[in-house]
Parts: sequence; structure tokens; C-alpha cells
Amino acid sequence: MDPETERVVKDFASVLDELTFNSKPIITTLTKTAEENISCAQYFVDSLETRINKCVPTQKLYAFYALDSICKNAGSPYTIYFSKNLFALYKKTYLLVDNTTRSKLISLFKTWMAPNESTGSPLFESTSLGKIESFLIKASALHQKNYQSMLPKPTIPLLLSDIDKLTILTKKRLSKTPDDPKLSMKLQVLAQLKQELQKGKLSSAALKQVQLQLKEVFSQDQQLIQQQNEYEQRMEFQRQQQMQMQQQQQQQRLDVPGTNINNDNMKSNSSTPIPLFDNMTSLGPNVSSLFGTTIGPIFSQSTTTSDKSERESKIQKLYESLDNVDLLYKPKNESIVTLYDKIKPKDADKLNKESNIRLPSIDMLQNIILDCKAYFANININSLNVDSLTFTQQNITSPNSMVENNLIHLLYRAKSNKCNACGKRFGNSNDEKRLLSEHLDWHFRINKRIKGSSQLITTGNSQGTTATQKNIQSRNWFLQDSEWINFKDDDIISTKNIIGDDDNRNRDKRWRKNGDNTDRYNKALSGSTPEGGDDYSNVLTDEMLRNTKLPVPETNVDMTFKCPICKDTVNAVYDEDTGEWVWGNTVNINGKYFHALCYYESIKNSNDPEQSSALENLRKLVQKM
Amino acid sequence: MSFLPGLTDATVIPEVYIDENEIHKQVIPMGSIWKIRVAQESKMTIKIITGIAEIFGTELANNIEYNFQNWNFTIFAVEEVQLEWKGTDVHPIVEGEDIIPNETAQYIYNLHFALEKLRSQSFYGPKIMVIGNKNVGKTALCRTLCSYTIKFKTSQPMLINLNPQESIFSPPGCVSATPISDILDVQLPIWGQSMTSGATALHTKQPLLKLFGLEMISENKDLYLYSIDSLAKDVDERLQKDALIQRSGCIINAPPLSQLDDRFDSLLHIIKQFDINLVVMISDEANEDEKLQYEKISQLITPEVGNNFIRFPKLSGIIESDETYDRSLQRSATREYFYGNSNTALSPFSVTVDYEDLMIWEPVNLINVGEPASIDSTNLLQLKPVTITPGSIQHALIGITYADKHAKSEDVRNAPLLGFALITEVNEKRRKIRILVPVPGNFPNNATILTSYRYLE
Repeated sequence: MDPETERVVKDFASVLDELTFNSKPIITTLTKTAEENISCAQYFVDSLETRINKCVPTQKLYAFYALDSICKNAGSPYTIYFSKNLFALYKKTYLLVDNTTRSKLISLFKTWMAPNESTGSPLFESTSLGKIESFLIKASALHQKNYQSMLPKPTIPLLLSDIDKLTILTKKRLSKTPDDPKLSMKLQVLAQLKQELQKGKLSSAALKQVQLQLKEVFSQDQQLIQQQNEYEQRMEFQRQQQMQMQQQQQQQRLDVPGTNINNDNMKSNSSTPIPLFDNMTSLGPNVSSLFGTTIGPIFSQSTTTSDKSERESKIQKLYESLDNVDLLYKPKNESIVTLYDKIKPKDADKLNKESNIRLPSIDMLQNIILDCKAYFANININSLNVDSLTFTQQNITSPNSMVENNLIHLLYRAKSNKCNACGKRFGNSNDEKRLLSEHLDWHFRINKRIKGSSQLITTGNSQGTTATQKNIQSRNWFLQDSEWINFKDDDIISTKNIIGDDDNRNRDKRWRKNGDNTDRYNKALSGSTPEGGDDYSNVLTDEMLRNTKLPVPETNVDMTFKCPICKDTVNAVYDEDTGEWVWGNTVNINGKYFHALCYYESIKNSNDPEQSSALENLRKLVQKM
Repeated sequence: MSFLPGLTDATVIPEVYIDENEIHKQVIPMGSIWKIRVAQESKMTIKIITGIAEIFGTELANNIEYNFQNWNFTIFAVEEVQLEWKGTDVHPIVEGEDIIPNETAQYIYNLHFALEKLRSQSFYGPKIMVIGNKNVGKTALCRTLCSYTIKFKTSQPMLINLNPQESIFSPPGCVSATPISDILDVQLPIWGQSMTSGATALHTKQPLLKLFGLEMISENKDLYLYSIDSLAKDVDERLQKDALIQRSGCIINAPPLSQLDDRFDSLLHIIKQFDINLVVMISDEANEDEKLQYEKISQLITPEVGNNFIRFPKLSGIIESDETYDRSLQRSATREYFYGNSNTALSPFSVTVDYEDLMIWEPVNLINVGEPASIDSTNLLQLKPVTITPGSIQHALIGITYADKHAKSEDVRNAPLLGFALITEVNEKRRKIRILVPVPGNFPNNATILTSYRYLE
């Protein structure tokens, strides 16, 4: 370690030691240092790992936050280094800390699982993340067991009231989306279950199962409603609050939310309504319900909302009681200015605080609202099988409210991600997001190439000119008809490969070489149409053959060769046009030299099918000259 | 409007000093279009600040500078648009009513979604032809439909241009078919670039061209229809091999009705050749002459496509163009082919060949022949060899075919088109010709066809 590195690493370690509380500035400093000194990455990783291992349990979380911040901001190589010991580190910490910290650790872990926007993969190596995940699943299953034993002993009236609650909830959802067949199905099943219970023939073990299943359904419902909330939260704040209240009520009704049931349990329980859970056995909701103990941000928000209203009512009471005993000063005919002065000191702080909060720009907020509107405008329009869209005079040239209000959004905001460079739109699904990121990558590479990078670019020109600054490019020849017919535009719109990129250089050359193209065309022409073939073979006149010339290869010492057919010796002549020594009336067939005329005569008179290809070959050679 | 104070004042701007870099601001209300005329020698740069703006159906990215040159076009504000522009003209905009409501936008949307419905119903997408007189917005409608088609679902409509005077992805003088596989270039009157050897900011397109070579269809209608037949055959084969294009269908831009003879039998020929099942005629309902014309064509076409023949109003925001403007567009398209544009500079290659090295054919031109009666129909398709003189080929745009230099006349006519070249100089004394070729290398040893188009650098 050189002195400079040593100093940086020491500094880093000392800053790290100060991380005894959740301090944003310290974490930011650490992250910056890590970002700026990538070369010291290994040392930073070592000291951070040591810190997590050595410090008191209460401070471990902050060190994890630092780790998280560094990996999210600086990325590789930190992510790679940390991945190595991440599982051990995480497990050890998890086992040592209290429950609140645990849930914080879990939420931290969840952010690691979310695929990174630019790369599309999770933050750390999937193997270590996988280990942590299975560890957490085991840990919460353990927790679950404890929790199950804590549940009240299931009695029929208790279960009946649970079913009633669930029925009300489901009805509520059904009123929102009346055409969901699953919901009405669910209602039926619930009614049946209720009947079964009222008969009172179930054993206590079965009752237990029913209880657990009901809890499960509750938590599923809750999640659905949460998701729904997240959508609408973006839409209208008013409505959002209402929803939160509702949500909160559900939370209260449900003593402990979030249970997990093993699939085995479900299967063994034949009398309970299994079809109910068919759509819920997928991995997604189960895994997340594992973490159901940590209630999403909405819940914590709603807690604060209720706190707030509670506080408000308390203040109201206080005000009334103070008023009753005449302890309140009520300004009467005073000007608004004095009034303002009186209350100013209190509110000044508040105002300052408010002005510090940076709101997104109006444009951005408007965009969000319009995007949502566009999304909802098309949500109930399943297909284009609408009569008003049939191609008729009446439909086309009169206003169509459905097109105007709903369908038009399909062309614009329904795909809310607009490419900043070209205006092309992409949707919100994962596939579309991947396409967008590939598309942006493509723009980036193309722009780099257009600007002319430092790499040497050989133009297609045979002279091999190189351009360092600006790429020299030119129009391509058009494809001949048959090539165009078989052409796939995917070749040109692929964002993975760039035509003219190194790996595509060969194909590119093929397009550029008109000689090849023309030959192939003529060959195809003569091959497919016999008459045409005759025409083309006639093209090979004696004169043309005599005019063929071949530059003397450098390996040839005495500038002569003997034609294998007529046994004549050919001497080289100097060709003024090309400035080279050449052999006249000569062709090179598979490395052997012949008089062009001799070779032509010998193959022309043969009817051997093999010879016709030789003729083809010769024609090609001659035409090239 | 002089009775309103202030209204006339704005148009009288003292011509003192034009600052090219002065930034002007402009707001286009939602649902309106801004008509823009960028003259031949001037330039204009537009940057959309907020809102959704599109040019003939292609959406513009925000906060990106777009450069325009020698083009009349309109910007449509799908949502209110605020933009900044600068340019060499103080008033590139059309004087007076330059911002008008886009009344036909809704009909275009209706048409688009009607086509989408048809696309979703069958593996064989709709083949729609747009017909109408000059300056009614045929090309604009086709371009908008193409752009919309590729926007929501994965579609690749085939744009077929049957107007040889129009340059779409190519120099003028051709009929062409181009799969629209990706976003069009909003800055270019020729819709976008055809393939180049290097990198282009947008994906290029791969057109198939059939060289007609003459300007007016009436100069040799038989040859024109022959090119169309040949194009239709290749398009059909491509459709059979390319399920995506087959499903997306074809959008066909017909030549202006004035180019066709009064019987309009060419329209029927086109409908049959391309198996067209929808025809949209842009026609003014109020105009008596156009009404008669519409009825005449309706009688002719209805037996072919039935109820799938509809009338469409003249597009909002048409900027009347004259022949000078049409010529200037053809010139830009030719320049574009060899030299590219301000964003993509291309390097053509100049070669010198002997008189003997160049074999030029030319199509029969009935207008030049004088006595049409003396020509029997079999000869109309025959190409004639051109005697090289400075007068006959100087500055001419020639099409290089795939056929060999020594190929027979009909083989040359049937050969695919390799590319274009430009005769820049003919030296009679030394019997040498200087030719500009788009691709570096020797001049191809192929037969060429003379077009009626000239380009003087």
C-alpha cells in the first residue's frame, strides 16, 4: 500500500468509526470517498466488513446503510467485493439485533432484490442474495410457528365473524370491478364455508386450518388493496386518504396481519375451499407475505394520519377548555398585520421548513397525472372489436368519442416512457423497460460512433484508409430484388448490433461490394432462365477473353508461365493503364494459369455438368476484369 | 383585419438585422397545427420545451434540436406545446393564419384505429390506397398512418410510393416499396435515410426501387404500369415471406389524379396488382368539380372494393406548393442520396470513365417522340441506347442496374436497380465522363438508364 492509499483508507476508517448513529452526512462522505477512490475498493470493503463485525449490535444497521449507499452509488467493483461475505455478514447481524432492526434489515434486503434500472439485475450476486432470501424465509417461518401458537383457539362463532368480515371486503371489491369472475366465485365459496361451519361437524384441527386459511386470505386481500392504493395514490390525494382510512380499519380488525401457510397444509385440507387459493399459490404473493410483518409505507403513513387527527382533536379539546376558563386571548378588531405579527414567530419556522421542501416541477406533476389518466382511459377497453371502428364512410368522417377520449392515448401516454433522444415511446412492462434500456444503449453507441471515437475505423474501401476523427461513410448500393424479398428488417432495427460495427463488418462489406452483388445477380439470372444463360454465355466474346489480363504474382520469379493446354510459354508485358506487369489473355483457375481462350474452348465444348459451373466461374472472372 | 389595432402591426417587422441565433418562443394550443415554410436557402431549428408535438404522425423528442431545411410542413400539438425556434428567416412561418385548429386529426385517428381493428382481425393486414388531387395531403396522410402504425404494437407496414415525382427514401423517378420498421426522421422530407455504410442517428430503411426514369406518367404510361407490375410482384413475394409485414398491411401513396388520364384505368390496374382492399379518396365535398370527379371514380372503384371506398376531407394545414418547390424537393432528395444531410454526412466518390465504358439506355418518351401513332405498343417498353453527347447526359441522374454492361435491352429493363449516379462532366475532346457514384470504388461494369432528372451542383 502506498502512502497515499494508506492515508485515504485510514481516513475512511476513522469516518466509519464515527458512524454511531444514523447520519446521512457521514454515509454520504463515505460513499463519496468510495466513489472517488475506486483503486482502494478492497481496503474500504475490508474495513467496512470489520466494522460491521466488531461494532455494537445497535450500530450495525448504520454500517449496513453505508454499505448499501456505496454499492448503490458506486456500484461495481464494490458490489462484487461485498457479495463475497454478504450472506455471513447479514446472517450474523440479523441474529444479533432486535426485531425493529430486523425488519429494517429486511426492507434493506428487499431493495437489493429489485432489479437495477440500468443493468436489469439485482444489486449483488444472485447466489449470495439467494442465500439471504432462504435464510430469511426460514427465520420468518420460525417466527410464524410461534405466531400460530399465539392465535386464539378457533371457535365456530369466531370463524363465522371472520367470514362475515371477509365477505364484506370482497363485496366492496366486487362493486369496484363488477366483472371480475374470481370475486363472485369467492363470495359463493365463502357462503358455502359459512354453511359448513354452521352445521358444526368440523373437528378442532380442521377449524384451525380454516382459521389459518382465512388469515391468509385476509393478508392477500390486504395486499391487493395496498397495490390498488399505490396506483390511486398517484391519482388523487383525496381518495387516497379515504382508502388509507379503510385500510387502517382493516388492519385494526386484523390483530396480526400477514400469515403464511405451507402448501402442504393446503393440500392436506380437502374439506376447505382450495380453489379459493388457486390464483394465490404463485410464489410472488407468498414470498412477500412472508415479510408481511413489515407493513408497507402506506400503513405507517396512515398511522401518522390517525395520530395527527387524534392530536388535532386533543388540541380542539384543550382550546375549548381554555376558552371556558377565559384564558384565551382573542384578537377582535385588530388589523391583519398585527395579527400576523402575533402569530408570526411560531409560523416562521414552519414556513421556512416548507420552503425547504422542494416540490417537483408542475410539468412533471402534470405529466404524472396525464399518464395516469391515459392509463385508466384504456383499462376497460379490451380489444378493438368495436363496431364504431369498422371501416365505413360514416365511422371515419364523423367524431368518435371513443377514439377521442380513450383510444388516442394508446398512441401517446399509454406508453409513458418517451425516449429522450428520438421521441419513440416505450411502455411500463418489464419487457418494454428492457427494450427502452437497450434502445438507449443503442443511441449511446451510435452517437459515439457518429462523433468519431478514437478507435480506428477502416472504411470499406479497398485502399484501407483509416479515419481517426470522423467516420467516413457513404450510401450503400440497393439490394437486388431477390435479396430484398428475403430481407428482414430486424437486421437493421436491431439494437444489439450496429451495422458497420466490428462484428458486422463482414456482412457490411457484402452489401458494399457491388461486384459480388452484380455477379450473383447475373449468375442467378443465367441459372434460373436458360435463355438468359445463353445470352450471358454469348457475352464472353473472343475479344473479351483476349483482353483479360492478370497481374504477375509476386511469387513468380521469371515472369513467365506455360499454358497447360497449348503448352505455349507466356511472357509478361507492362500494362500502362494499371502500371503493373501483367499476363495478357490469362485466367487463374484454382491457382493454375491458363490462356483464357484455351480454357474457354476446352470447357465450352464439354457437356459435363461440372463444366458448366466452371464456365460460370470463368465468366465471373472475365467480367471482373 | 386592419380594423383591429395591433393585429396588422405584428406582421410589419422592420428588416434590420437578422440574428440567426435569436431564440423565438412559440406556443401551439392543444389540437392545433403550426404551418411552417422553410425556404430553400434558409434553415430553421426547433426545440420542443414541453408538450407533445408531432410532425406527420412522428412524435418529436423534447429538448432536442431539430434542423429543417427547404421544407413546408406542419407541427401538430397533441397536447399544448411550448417550443423555441431560431432560423435565418425572421418569418419562416406562413403569414397570417399560421396556427390553425387541426380539424382532420380526429378523422385520421378514426382511420388509424379502423385499420388497427382490421390488423387485429386477420393475418392479412389491410392494403389501403390514398388517392386524390395534388396538394390535398395524400403523402401527409400516408406518412401519418405509417407513423401511427408502428407506435403502439409491433407492426411493420409497407409503404408503397407510386408517385415517381415524389422522393421517399430515394431520389425521384422511381416507384418504391419500403417496410417502415422504425421511427421516421421528422427532419427529412424524404421520410428517412436508406442504408448507409456507417452509423446513422436513426435506424435506416431498406427500400425496393423500380426505376421509371421519366417525370410524367403520361410520358410512357405503359412503362409506368410495367414498373408497377414488377414492384407488385416483388412486394407480394416479400409479404409471403414476412409475416409481420403481411399482418401490418400496405399503405399505398398513389400519384395525383391529374397525372393519370381521364379514364383512371391505371387506378384499377394498381388495385388489381397490389390486391388493394381499401381506398381513401381525399376530396373536397363542397367543390363541384371535385364532386363530379369523386362520383366518376366511385363508379369505377366501387365494383372492385365495394363499400371500402370512402371520401376523406382535405387535410388541415395544407401548404400550397408550386412546381419550383416540387423541383427543390427533388433536388434535395438527390443531394441527400449522395451527400447525406447535416446530421449524416455521406462521401460520394468521383470517377472518370471513357465514353466506351458507359452504356446508357433510356426509356421511350412519348412527348418527345412527336408522333405517337408511329410507335406500336410493343416498342413502348423497349429501352433505347443513348448516344453520349454533353447535351444529352450532362448533369443527368442515371440509374445503375444490376445488368451487365453488354446485356440486352430487355434484360436491362428487367434488372434490379443497384443505385444512382450523377454525370457531373462530359469532356467531348478527351471522350471522358466524370461520374459521381455514391459508393467508393470503380464505376460498376453495368448498364445504366438515363432519367429525366438533372442535378447541377
